[in-house]
Amino acid sequence: MSENSLVEVKNLVVRFYTYAGIVEALDGVNLKVKPGEILGLVGETGCGKSVTSFSILQLVPPPGAIEEGEIYFNKDGKVIDVRGLHKEAIRQMRGKEIAMIFQEPRAYLNPVYTVETQIGEVLLTHRGKDLLERAMQTLKKTGRKASFENRVYKMMLIKPKSITTRIMSRFCSKKALKAEILKEVVNLLRSVGIADPERVAKMYPFELSGGMAQRAVIAMALSCQPVMLIADEPTTNLDVTVQAQILNLIKELRENYKSSILYITHDLGVIAELCDRVAVMYAGNVVETANVYELFDSPLHPYTKALLESIPRPGVEFKSIPGIVPSLINPPKGCRFHDRCEFEMDVCRKVKPEFIEVKKDHFVACHLYGGSK
Amino acid sequence: MDMGKRWKEFRTAWQPRIKEWKFMFKRMRESPLAIVGLSIIIGFVVIACMAPILAPPTSSNPFLLSADTELSVLTTRPTPPTVKHIFGTTGDQYDIYYACIWGTISAFRVGILVVAIGLIIGLLFGIVAAYYGGIIDEVLMRFTDIIIAFPGLVLSMALVIAFPTIIPIDITILILLTSAILSLIFSAFKPQRKLLLVTQIIVLVSLFLYITNPITVGLNLSRLDKVLISLAIVGWPGYARLIRGEVLRVKNEDYVEAAKAAGCSDFRIIAKHILPNTIYPLLIVVTLDIGSIVLTAAALSFLGIGAEPNSADWGNIISMSRNWVSKPELLVQYYHTFLIPGIFISLFVLGWNLLGDSLRDILDPMIRRR
Amino acid sequence: MTSLPAYIARRLIFLIFVLIGVTALIFAITMLVPVDVRAMLYVRNIQRTSPEQLAKVAEEYGLTRPFYEQYFTWLGQVLQGNLGFSKSSSQTVSEAILQRWPYTFEIVLFAAPLIIFIGIFLGVQSAIHKDGIIDHACRILAIIGWSLPSFWLGLLLLSVFSGQLRWLPPPGPLDPKLMDFRNSSTSGFIRYTYIDLFDGLLNGHPEITLDVLKRVILPVTVVVIINIAMLIRVMRSSMLESLSKPYIVAAKAKGLRDKEVIYRHARRNALIPVATLSGMLVAGLLGGLIITETVFAFGGLGQWAATAAIQFDIPAVLGYAILSAFLFVIANLIVDILYAYIDPRIRLV
Repeated sequence: MSENSLVEVKNLVVRFYTYAGIVEALDGVNLKVKPGEILGLVGETGCGKSVTSFSILQLVPPPGAIEEGEIYFNKDGKVIDVRGLHKEAIRQMRGKEIAMIFQEPRAYLNPVYTVETQIGEVLLTHRGKDLLERAMQTLKKTGRKASFENRVYKMMLIKPKSITTRIMSRFCSKKALKAEILKEVVNLLRSVGIADPERVAKMYPFELSGGMAQRAVIAMALSCQPVMLIADEPTTNLDVTVQAQILNLIKELRENYKSSILYITHDLGVIAELCDRVAVMYAGNVVETANVYELFDSPLHPYTKALLESIPRPGVEFKSIPGIVPSLINPPKGCRFHDRCEFEMDVCRKVKPEFIEVKKDHFVACHLYGGSK
Repeated sequence: MDMGKRWKEFRTAWQPRIKEWKFMFKRMRESPLAIVGLSIIIGFVVIACMAPILAPPTSSNPFLLSADTELSVLTTRPTPPTVKHIFGTTGDQYDIYYACIWGTISAFRVGILVVAIGLIIGLLFGIVAAYYGGIIDEVLMRFTDIIIAFPGLVLSMALVIAFPTIIPIDITILILLTSAILSLIFSAFKPQRKLLLVTQIIVLVSLFLYITNPITVGLNLSRLDKVLISLAIVGWPGYARLIRGEVLRVKNEDYVEAAKAAGCSDFRIIAKHILPNTIYPLLIVVTLDIGSIVLTAAALSFLGIGAEPNSADWGNIISMSRNWVSKPELLVQYYHTFLIPGIFISLFVLGWNLLGDSLRDILDPMIRRR
Repeated sequence: MTSLPAYIARRLIFLIFVLIGVTALIFAITMLVPVDVRAMLYVRNIQRTSPEQLAKVAEEYGLTRPFYEQYFTWLGQVLQGNLGFSKSSSQTVSEAILQRWPYTFEIVLFAAPLIIFIGIFLGVQSAIHKDGIIDHACRILAIIGWSLPSFWLGLLLLSVFSGQLRWLPPPGPLDPKLMDFRNSSTSGFIRYTYIDLFDGLLNGHPEITLDVLKRVILPVTVVVIINIAMLIRVMRSSMLESLSKPYIVAAKAKGLRDKEVIYRHARRNALIPVATLSGMLVAGLLGGLIITETVFAFGGLGQWAATAAIQFDIPAVLGYAILSAFLFVIANLIVDILYAYIDPRIRLV
């Protein structure tokens, strides 16, 4: 694990055991996210981008399982082996150190709870103590220090798991705590650019527009100031104008909070606009990683080249990549791209190329650049 | 048209569907619930077929129970199981074993007939409502909602009592109505000219007959027939609603639009595209319903308003044990009057329920896979 | 328009239409009965009446008028509370209902919550431990329970617990001696609620309440066993569906504990179809109680309908049908309101 990485994924192998067969979803993925940078993860639908991001948070759904590989997280200088973490420890990391936002915000929000309730949940889970203390402060100021409510808060601070605490808190209206939560939620909503946050906080997800919902989701993700944000195609379902607003928002966030962002998308335009570095995925492998300018200027992997050439441009003949994405149940041997590659060599059909640093900070997995070491 | 070519067309059109069925049967073979359920049902089918051998009929109508005259002279209380009466007898000295065996046939008859009738009526209403939509849909659906608003046993009870024993049926009106409905359907769906013409002629002829010389026939309903009709009336709205929901779902799918764009007649669309894709949920409901209908029929017989008082019917036999309910100690002594017939009912219904439940599990991923 | 009151108002109007339809259907069933049979209901001594006298009675009571006329007169009567005369119980239908509803209520009072809460609990557990032992066991037991005829199960339990083991009393809503005590004018027993379960305590005679409890156990057990299968089934599949929704993944990614994700997020959404079903289930209990009450001689509405049915007492059976349908429709309304409370999206309908 290199010193300057925030999150490092090495040789990650993930398989899904389905009725139709074993899906080799990830075939040894290598990824490195540096602190404070926006890393774009680009690839076609089904290439494994989402699965990679879920793996970092140990959220791969059954029938999937992480079979091999290492995932490291650099927490304040201490390197943690994520795969070896206890269930409770990883749960505490989710939403707090690493947060995630998704593609269709209204589908990823619970339809029967308001925005306030759902953001409040995250706040209570990770910043509960802080909020309890603030509530107790408010009570002290208004002279209700000796009230039942205050006692309940004290018990929740000291003995949060005991049965007495639970029963007592059921019977308590906890107004002060709820007021604190609402204050915090409103602040968060305002900070992501929602005008009239008090009203939005009380709304249900189906009452929000796509852009507003996505902002609310971003607010929720930032509520505990994570050092890394994973964004899984957050703007794909939005109108272009709204998309631009959200992208600006994300850029701002990087400036203000200094968090890293793993931005997953299939849109090369967004990559060019937003990211510092780019990782290109194909059929369960990362085939190329480089600085964004470097990638667009001098792409090395044939897939990257073909991708860039396939962007429609006025005046230029439209070029597509021949063939189709292989089925991951019976993936091709050797390099998974070989049957669609114009530079296909004999070795490509038999040996899988290694992921090596060909130029400074520019990694490729291709036999053209000596991947057969 | 060339028969060979037609056969090939037919084969290729049905190929994917056959594959789905093969997959379904494979899943069924792997599901223990389905196997157990199916075995139970097959067991009962065997009993039903072998009834004359297993329990030789004692009179011309095998479904009428006859009392054991030797015993009825001796006692009016149920006799416990002996060699001659394997399951014992009831208070009136009816052989319980005999009733259980022939009751199997009754059960199958009731279950299958009621479901079949209900299904036909329900399908008709449901498809018409779904395909036409608009006010026809609204009216038909409100009608089914009202019937569904009643708890089943209550409504069937009311119907069984209210049904007169002799229904005067005006045959000319019956023919008139059926042909009128058919001609309406045909004029909408336009299958073939000849069919439409024939039905319209029948309408005119029966109208003429009705005005000049109506023919009335008194239809004699046995108690069992009344039960059948009542249960069918209570049951068809369920199928109508189900089919309507499915047709609505399928109606908006792309392949129906494609068929319309290619110029297929409505009738053809319904028959070839919509129906085959909507029968799966119906299959589940039908298997479960056969069980629940037999339960309801048994309940009606137990109350005394179902089958004839001395017919070979499971519920009927158990109703004879009602005399001993007030003193539970006697109930223990005469346990045979209700225990084994009840086991017959439970097993029969269990078989269908197991099959239906496992079908639900099997068909659900199949439907979801699409 | 996501306000609750507006939604409730809309549902009420809709339900009135359904009630009209229901009464029309009941009336249509009355019309099935031949005129002379209906006329016999108004005659005291059937053997002594000649066909001509019967025809006169038919005319007198308006049985030969056109059906729409008859419907409106009948509907008018029903709305005024006059549901006809029940020959089998020698009292008006309304009286019969008022006399017997407490006994039915005693059973439903225990059966309904047990079915709903146990059903929800087992359904959720089955879904969480899908394909585990709990799941399979619940499923098989539920199917078996559903396959049993209610009268048979009742007879079985009666014979074992009352006949053989003598732990529980024989069929009847109340011990005959206690009933005499309750009915006598000299004992000072005041029937506050007409429900023996409560009246016993209110009068300071807990032995009455205890007696009711002992007698209510078996009927309630029968009702619960038979009806719980459906609820477990629906809860389970609804929960499984809910657990596969995107917002569950999001909730986990937020760092919520598994318990919180399951019970607070998945279950709340899964309860929605279950709410509808449980409402209908409770109202439908009235239908199933016909059998259970008969077996346990509980003297409630169900048993009354059963005895009326055997004696072809048409006004009684139809009165019971109207009552059931009415309660069913009300239950639907309550369920709809509950549904709108749980799921705010519905209020737009």
